[in-house]
Amino acid sequence: MKKSVFLILIIALLLPAAIFAAGTKDQAVDETKPVTINYWTHDDAARTKLENELIEKFQAANPHITVERSTRSAQKQIELVQTAFAANEGPDMFNLPIENQYAYITNGRVAPIDYVAAGFKSKQDMLDKYMDGILDTVTVDGEVYGLPLELTNWAIYVNKKVFASAGLDAEKDYPRTWEQMADVSEKLVIRDGDILVRRGFDFRYPYYLIMFVPMVEQLGGSLLSEDGKKAIINDDAWIKALTFMQEWGPLGRNLGSTTYQAPRYLFNADNNDIAMAHTGLYQEGRMKTENPAFFESDDWMVVPFPVFENAVKDVASAYYGHFFMVNADSDPAVQKATWKLIGFLLSHGEDYLTRGGNLIQPTKALLASDTLKNMPYSEVFINDMARANMVYYGSDSAEIQTQIRNAVESVMLSGESPQKALATLRSAVQEIIDERR
Amino acid sequence: MGTKRYKGIEKKQARWGIAFVVPALIFFSVFNFYPILNAFYTSFYDRRALSKLKPKFIGLANYVRLFDPARADNPLSFYNSLKATLTFTVGTFIPLLIISLLLAILISNLSSNRAKRFLQISYYTPAILSSVVAATIWMLIFDPRGLGNQWMNLILNTPGVDHKWKTDPMMLQISTMLVYFWKYIGYFVILFIIGLATIPSTIYEAATIDGANKNQTFWRITLPLLRPTVVLVSIMAMLQCLKTFSTQYMFYTNGSTRAPINVITFNIYITGIQDQYLGRASAMSVVLFVLMLVLTLFQFRTTKSGENIDY
Repeated sequence: MKKSVFLILIIALLLPAAIFAAGTKDQAVDETKPVTINYWTHDDAARTKLENELIEKFQAANPHITVERSTRSAQKQIELVQTAFAANEGPDMFNLPIENQYAYITNGRVAPIDYVAAGFKSKQDMLDKYMDGILDTVTVDGEVYGLPLELTNWAIYVNKKVFASAGLDAEKDYPRTWEQMADVSEKLVIRDGDILVRRGFDFRYPYYLIMFVPMVEQLGGSLLSEDGKKAIINDDAWIKALTFMQEWGPLGRNLGSTTYQAPRYLFNADNNDIAMAHTGLYQEGRMKTENPAFFESDDWMVVPFPVFENAVKDVASAYYGHFFMVNADSDPAVQKATWKLIGFLLSHGEDYLTRGGNLIQPTKALLASDTLKNMPYSEVFINDMARANMVYYGSDSAEIQTQIRNAVESVMLSGESPQKALATLRSAVQEIIDERR
Repeated sequence: MGTKRYKGIEKKQARWGIAFVVPALIFFSVFNFYPILNAFYTSFYDRRALSKLKPKFIGLANYVRLFDPARADNPLSFYNSLKATLTFTVGTFIPLLIISLLLAILISNLSSNRAKRFLQISYYTPAILSSVVAATIWMLIFDPRGLGNQWMNLILNTPGVDHKWKTDPMMLQISTMLVYFWKYIGYFVILFIIGLATIPSTIYEAATIDGANKNQTFWRITLPLLRPTVVLVSIMAMLQCLKTFSTQYMFYTNGSTRAPINVITFNIYITGIQDQYLGRASAMSVVLFVLMLVLTLFQFRTTKSGENIDY
């Protein structure tokens, strides 16, 4: 009896190993066989509507291809895709922000582009069609690993009515510098004691690589040295930027904080609770859906990302991209079909811009198109992009952003001195980049 | 002959027993044994989530790194995670234990069955909510313009004061404790009510005849006879508190700063999922496992739960 119980226990222990060791993917190549593409992406109602429509057309034209598109929140998408790849069960096609996606290239998880399947004559033909340098981001050892679903930068949306209610003229008084941003916000803010009932502006926490690092760069600092070996360059710039955030927060002038509702979610409602929000061109599409009367009115405008008064560099908020990539472990026939689908979807750039969530796909044709130019304030975004850098997208970018978040929030919320926060930040980021090298 | 027949029946019965146990064993093996063993194994390797390279054996390096004193200054270090976990556990588990016991006694002593049932359901309801839903409700309450500030300012007569539920490091810890307390109190109240129901009423009757007052009854009868339940609840509550994750995760994703609430499970999540260091995250899991094991054994020892209670 004891023996049989012991035997069962041993089998129970070994069973998982047998289960988890089972099965590898079929590597057979057959382009005509029916294939199913698993496409994982993040939520976006307008894009979902457009892509479902496009996928339907694609499937009608390619009856042997079935596309299974699934969506989740942007944050969940980052976690789920990574967990799936770690278990060698990643989707055939996916998109992520480039700062999260780059590690998939360096770890050999994604396949290089099949130019012909994606609808190009050659690699050069593809490069000629895209904005100069944009595909460098996803190029490693001469191979290109993704095509951009969207390239996004953020500018400042202004509610003119809120300005007027504080006796300001938005057209004249909108902030050009960060110092003006704090002063104008002070005039716009309404408080109930310490509690902010209306904010002038508030930052887009916790996207510190996109909005805070450029502020440091304006003051002459940078995240890494040019050779990428040294972390946190120019202490004065970092301390000044951290001090600005400290003064902005509840322990300083109390103009905003990380735990109030994000301004971009409040802006469209036009409820007199936020005057300025830092967001992308896509906000216009959302505004049009959520509050068409406000969108059609002359009560809002978009202005450039401010700079510090004594800035040594004119740098706007960083831009970032989402790229379509293909799982290198997918069946070759599925990979080919997936590039075909990507090529098909991306051939509808104007649709993505006008009714797919106002996404800018950085092809030369779209950037030169009247459709983009005719969108309200699109020139502000285009001009800001020209004075911006691509967000830092190394395979350690998420980890570094966490450390910057900790530094900024420790001075804003916990009363840490900028000097001490900077020392901690430097040692943490240095360790991260040393480990990756 | 008779002995032989007896053994045959026992064997037959045992076979059925095994048959019933096997599905649970398989389930437990796949979803518990394997991850536990795998975490031990992985903790000795430098394994990255996305890497296709063979993980490199690094011995105890992951553990050495966790306990490296040079890193103690960083508020996101493992040292501070240990501190945050112990603060949260002590701050939540002790009130949970004491207040759930008091509430259980209060409810058990009610004469109206309807009132008893109503209170049991009321206290238990939060336990069936998912942690994410619970935390979302509390996020709204702790918003600077939310009910938390409004209630506190009404009670304390301090209009316009922001109590910084989600930003001040100490308030943030208290807020996570409150959410957890609210969510699990009902569960432990029910366990205590069940424990109280197992104490024979004849013992209370005898005590009343002997002239014991309520205070003496509680300290001399209820509490000693409730000891197995107290041990069970205290261990369960402590383990639950050590494993807390979703509450802290929700606060962090809603803008709270990480350091004060960077409990071990949350650090494991960030290290393994976001930063992709699976080996390091596994080492943290093993440390947490050992911590839970040691504290459980310590509780068993100090409460002498092995002693049987005879009526």
